[in-house]
Amino acid sequence: MDIEPNINKKHAGIYIHIPFCLKKCGYCDFYSQPLQSLTQLERYATAVRLEIEKRAVLFPDTIISSIYLGGGTPSLLAPQQLQSILGAVSHYFKLGSNAEISLEMNPATVREAHIRGVLAAGVNRISLGIQSFSEDELKILGRVHGLYDIMHNIDALHKEGCKNFNLDLIYGIPGQSLDTWQRSLELAVSCRPQHISTYLLQLDESTPMARAIKSGQIKLLDEESEYSMYHLALDYLPEKGFSHYELSNFCQVGFECRHNLNYWGGGDYIGIGAGAVSCIKRKRYRNRPILEDYLMALEAGDEAPMEILEQMSVEEKMREEIILALRLCDGIDLMQFADRYHIDFRGRFALEIEDAEQKGLLKMEKNRLSLTRRGYFLSNQVFCRFMS
Amino acid sequence: MQKNIRNFSIIAHIDHGKSTLADRLLHLTGALSDREMKEQFLDKMELEREKGITIKLKPVRLNYRARDGQEYILNLIDTPGHVDFSYEVSRSLAACEGALLVVDASQGIEAQTLANVYMAMDLDLEIIGVINKIDLPGAEPEVVKQEMENVLGLDQNEVLPISAKLGTGVEDVLEAIVQRIPPPSGIKDAALQALIFDSYFDPYKGAISYIRVVAGKLRKGDMIRMMSSGKEYEVDEIGVLSPYMNEVEVLCSGEVGYVAAGMKNVNDTRVGDTITGARLAAPEALPGYQEVKPMVYCGLYPLENSDFERLRDALDRLKLNDASLFYEPDNSDALGFGFRCGFLGLLHLEIVKERLEREYDLSLLATAPSVIYRVLLTDGSEVLVQNPTHWPPPQRIDRVMEPFVKAAIMVPNEFVGTIMELCQEKRGSFVTMEYLTTHRVVINYRLPLAEILYDFFDALKSRTRGYASLDYELHDFEASDLIKLDIMLNGEAVDALSFIIHQDKAYYRARAIVNKLRKIIPRQMYEVAIQAAIGNRIIARESVKAMRKDVLAKCYGGDITRKKKLLEKQKEGKKRMKQIGRVEVPKDAFMTVLDIEND
Repeated sequence: MDIEPNINKKHAGIYIHIPFCLKKCGYCDFYSQPLQSLTQLERYATAVRLEIEKRAVLFPDTIISSIYLGGGTPSLLAPQQLQSILGAVSHYFKLGSNAEISLEMNPATVREAHIRGVLAAGVNRISLGIQSFSEDELKILGRVHGLYDIMHNIDALHKEGCKNFNLDLIYGIPGQSLDTWQRSLELAVSCRPQHISTYLLQLDESTPMARAIKSGQIKLLDEESEYSMYHLALDYLPEKGFSHYELSNFCQVGFECRHNLNYWGGGDYIGIGAGAVSCIKRKRYRNRPILEDYLMALEAGDEAPMEILEQMSVEEKMREEIILALRLCDGIDLMQFADRYHIDFRGRFALEIEDAEQKGLLKMEKNRLSLTRRGYFLSNQVFCRFMS
Repeated sequence: MQKNIRNFSIIAHIDHGKSTLADRLLHLTGALSDREMKEQFLDKMELEREKGITIKLKPVRLNYRARDGQEYILNLIDTPGHVDFSYEVSRSLAACEGALLVVDASQGIEAQTLANVYMAMDLDLEIIGVINKIDLPGAEPEVVKQEMENVLGLDQNEVLPISAKLGTGVEDVLEAIVQRIPPPSGIKDAALQALIFDSYFDPYKGAISYIRVVAGKLRKGDMIRMMSSGKEYEVDEIGVLSPYMNEVEVLCSGEVGYVAAGMKNVNDTRVGDTITGARLAAPEALPGYQEVKPMVYCGLYPLENSDFERLRDALDRLKLNDASLFYEPDNSDALGFGFRCGFLGLLHLEIVKERLEREYDLSLLATAPSVIYRVLLTDGSEVLVQNPTHWPPPQRIDRVMEPFVKAAIMVPNEFVGTIMELCQEKRGSFVTMEYLTTHRVVINYRLPLAEILYDFFDALKSRTRGYASLDYELHDFEASDLIKLDIMLNGEAVDALSFIIHQDKAYYRARAIVNKLRKIIPRQMYEVAIQAAIGNRIIARESVKAMRKDVLAKCYGGDITRKKKLLEKQKEGKKRMKQIGRVEVPKDAFMTVLDIEND
C-alpha cells in the first residue's frame, strides 16, 4: 500500500508549548520546569515568535483553524506577551477567520484583569485546570491552588464574558471516594462551563507520585472504584446537558474542542516551543525538550533543534487514525475512511471488528464503527488489536 | 603398544572440580596450549557451560612421558554428570579400565557419585581416589579420606590430595593413572569388537561414533556392522582426539577414537552397541547394550500454530544428535498441533526445550511432564498411558500401575528427620538407612517416579540447606490409586492442563492449582471460572474477575507516539498468551500446574 491517503485538506492546528510552572505537580509528565524569572519568560516569548516566523514559511497555503497554548502553565504569560505571540501567528500564517484559540490556565496564576487581557488578546477558549473540588485531593495532587482560587476564577470568567471555557477534573485520586467525585462533578456543572474533561489519574513511571506508589507511601484506587467513577461521569454529565464526545471529554452542543478534534481526526499540527510535537502528513517530530538549546538556537537565527519521533508508512498512519478516531464517541465513518485510504474497511479488519463486537466493545451502526459504552473504559483492548 | 595405553574416566559430583582437573591434565600433557587453556574446554555446548554440567561426552587422547621414562597414551573418557544420563555413564565406564574418583575436600561423597563409583566397581575398574580443593579454607581431607575408606573400601593412604585449580598434586594423579590402572587386555588378532560410548552428528561426515576398540582392529575402508541392527557401513575415516580430530590409519584393541562411516544419524550408531567386522564378525556383542527408553513425557506446542512444521524440522535435527529423544505428532483441543515428546529425565527435557527455543527461535508451550502408566482395563487388556488426555474412562479401568524408583539420598545426620518427612509426603516407603561415617547417612527410599519428577530435588536441597544429594533408578511398577484431574476454564475441560494424581492428594492439589491459576490468568473481558474436577465432580473452584479498566485516559497530539508504543507492548504481551476458548492463558501456565509446592 503506497498510495497516499486522499486528503484534500490544507488545514492545521498550532500547538504552542509554554514549559514553565510555578511548581511541578507530582503526577505530571509533561515537559516543564519552575519559572526562574520574568526575564526568562520574556526571552522565551521572543523565541516563540521567532520560531513562528521561521516555521510559517513551510506552510504558505495552510489555513490555521486552531491554536492551543498548553504547558506547563501558559497562563504565566502576560497578556501583552500572549498578544504578541498570537499576533505573530496571524501575521506569518493564514489564520482562519473563526479559529479556535485556547489557553490553559492554572487557577493559582490568574486574576480578573488577567482574564480580561487574555480575552482581549484574542483567546476565545479557556481551559481551567481545577482538577478537583476537594481541598484534600488537591493537596495529594500537589496543586498550588485551592477552592477559593477556583471559585474566584470562575466568577471572573463569567464577569469578563468568557463564553467558552472548560474545566479539567481528575478522578482516581488516592483517598478519593465516589461521593467526593460526585461532589466535584456537581460543583463543576454548577460553574456553568461549556466543556468538562474528566481524566483518570494515570501515572508515568517517571513521576514522583508513581514512585510514591511504588514505595507504598500512597495507594491508587482499585479498578472497580475507578470504573464506577468513570461511569458516574458518563451517567451524570449528559443528564446535565454535557454530551460525551470523546473517551474523557464532555461538552454542551457545539462546544467540542476543535483543536483536539483535529488530533483525533488525524489532522496535521504544528508544534511551537521547546518540547512541542508536530505531525505533518506521516511524519511526527518534536522540538527537543531542552529549554536552553531552544532559546540559543532561535536567538542565533537558527531553526529550533528537532528530532523525528516517527516516520509512518501509509499503513501505519491509517492504523493510527483508526485508534484515534475510535476515541470519539461518533467513531469512524467507514465510507469516508475507506474512500480516503482506498480500502474495504470491513473486509480488511473483519477479524478485529468481529472479535471486539463479540466482546461487546465495538458496535457498527449504519456506516459508523464506534466503541460501545462498555467499550470506552476497555478501549485499549480494541486499540491494540488495530496496532500493526 | 597396548601395554602403554591407559583408558580412564573421571567420576565426580557437579562442582567438585572434574572439568578443572580435566583441563589441568590436558595442559600438563601438552594437549592444550596455554592459549587454549580456557576453562572447561571439554564442555563444548553453551548450555553445558551455563548449567555447569557435561551432557555430551568427548574422549581425549593425552601423551604422557612418565617418571619411568616411557611414553604413555592416556585416553580420558568424559562422563555426563547427571542422573538423567546414567546409562551413558555406564557405557563410558565400560570403555575404561580405571576411574578417578574426585571428591570435594569440604563436601564429601555425594549420592550420585556413589552410584557411579558402584557402577565402576561392578565393571571391575581400578578406582583412584582423589580429594580436590584442598587449598580451600573449609577443606577436611582427612575426614573425606576416612569416608572414602569406610564407604568404598579405598585404602586411605592411596588417596591423592590435590588442588586442580592450583595444579598441586596433579602430576601424582598422572603417575597413579600409569602405575595403578591396568593396560587394556584385548586381543589384536581377534574379530573386531568396538564399543560405542557416544556419538554425535556432523553435518559433513554424518554420524560420528566415539569408540573403544575392545578386540581386533579397525582400518579406513573396512566394512563394519552394527551388531544391534545388522546394518553395514564402509569406514570413511578413523582417528583420535588430541583433543582435536586427528586422522589415523588404524585403531587397535585397547585404543579409543572416532569412526565416521556415512551413517545418516545417531540412531544408526546407538550408545552401547558393538561394532564388528562385516567379513569377520565377532560371535557376540559386548555386554550391557540397552535401548534407551524415555522416562518422562510432555507435550511441546508452538505458540503460533503456523510454527508446527518448523518445530518438526527442529526436532528432526536435534534427533540426529540425540538418540534418546522421542517425539510424535500430537493434537490438543486447547493447544492445536504439536508433539508429544519423551525424555530421559527433566533435565533432558529442559535442555531440549531450551535448545529448540534458542537455536531454532521457536516460542514453545510445554505441558506438565508425565511419567508412563500401565493401565489394566476391565476387559483384561493393558494400555500404556503417558498422556493424561488418553486416560481411559474410570469405569473401564481395573487398576493402574505406576513406575517406582529406588532412591538413595545422602545427608548429614541432622537432616534424617527432614528427609523422611519429605519422602513420606511424596508417598515414599522407607527401605534402609546406612551410616557412611559417624556424621553422614544414606537413606534408601522407594518412591513413585511421578512424585520426584518435578520439584523433589529442589525441595531436597532447600530443606537441607543444599547438603542432600540424590540418586535414583527406575525399579518397577506398582498398583496405585491414581485418578485423572481435569481443569476447566469457563466450564470446558482444557485437555493440556489435565494430569494424573494420587487420589489422596487430589483435593489439596486441585485447590492449590485453581488458586495458582487464578493468580496467573490475567483479568479478561468476562469473569473466568476455574474449576478442578474428577470425572463430573467439581472439587475446587475459583474465579478471575472481569477486567474493568484498560484505557488511556489522555491522548493528544504530543502523546500519540508514546501511547502507541504502550499499545504495541500490550499487543506483544498478547502473543505470550494462548487463547483457549475465550480465555487467554499465559503460556507458562501449563508447566506451573505442578509447580505449586514452592508457593
